[in-house]
Amino acid sequence: MNRLAAVLVAALLAVPAAQASEQHPTQAELEGEVMCPVCGTTLDQSSSPAAQQIKRVIAKGIASGQTKSQIEDRLVAEYGDAILAAPPRHGFGLLAWWLPIAGIVVAAVVVGAGAWRWSRAREPAPRSVQLDPALERRLDDELRRFEG
Amino acid sequence: MARSVRLSAQALALAVVVGLLALLVWRVVHDDNKGVSQALDAGQHPTAPAFDLKRLDGRGSIDLASLRGKKPLVLDFWASWCVPCIHESKRLEAALQQYGNRIAFIGVDTKDYSADARHWQREHGITYPSVHDGNGKVLAKWGGLPIPRIFFVARSGKVVGELVVEEDLPRYLRQIAAS
Repeated sequence: MNRLAAVLVAALLAVPAAQASEQHPTQAELEGEVMCPVCGTTLDQSSSPAAQQIKRVIAKGIASGQTKSQIEDRLVAEYGDAILAAPPRHGFGLLAWWLPIAGIVVAAVVVGAGAWRWSRAREPAPRSVQLDPALERRLDDELRRFEG
Repeated sequence: MARSVRLSAQALALAVVVGLLALLVWRVVHDDNKGVSQALDAGQHPTAPAFDLKRLDGRGSIDLASLRGKKPLVLDFWASWCVPCIHESKRLEAALQQYGNRIAFIGVDTKDYSADARHWQREHGITYPSVHDGNGKVLAKWGGLPIPRIFFVARSGKVVGELVVEEDLPRYLRQIAAS
């Protein structure tokens, strides 16, 4: 119950944070999400002239009050979808978003089905063993003698 | 029942592996790293790959295929962030004065921010038209980075050569002007 409450609180806190990021993106945040078109890394890992150029474009966009989506859309219009580090959320790019989720769901179903089958296939617990009355008397006698 | 489920799972796993292998083979076969530049290095003279891109100055677009058979052309791949491109584009601008009536000069601004590119052209006095290849797909067909890359295309559409040393410029210009 406590865990569920913690998850709900975290989710509620994440929504305003995402909205703030959309309305007031930071330079560092965008440099981590935009690719350098000539180096194959994100901008924050490159100091090439092409990367410097895009960093300036981002800085100008932030200074003029553009949202994160507006800056990203401008960059995509100039350089194409590949300028964003994350795959696009349409067309073939959707596969990259949904495949991991589908993989997790399939794995959970397989593990669940395996666990269910395993639990059903287990042998029932053996019943308590009935001793021969003569043997039980003898055992009681032996125990009394041992304790006495 | 359990046996059929196990067989189905095995068939599915096998299908996934075969699919991934097919994808790998397809990617290797369709490797687009075999550009014009690599073909020239191998002694071939391929037909210039067509493109239809928007002009940087906003005056429509340039369709390379439409120029085939009309004029020989010089193709200059450049970007405003490319320092050596300044020198080569200025040499082409000078050649334009001599060959402009016989040869078409076209710039391909690649992997560049178009506003910076337009500013760069004005700053360096480059007057021949350029198209914008923002995602670099056209550049990839011609050989990819690094730039500058300058190609010479005969009137027939065959690529005659690529500028490697300074002397190549006058030599190839004469050659395609006579084509």
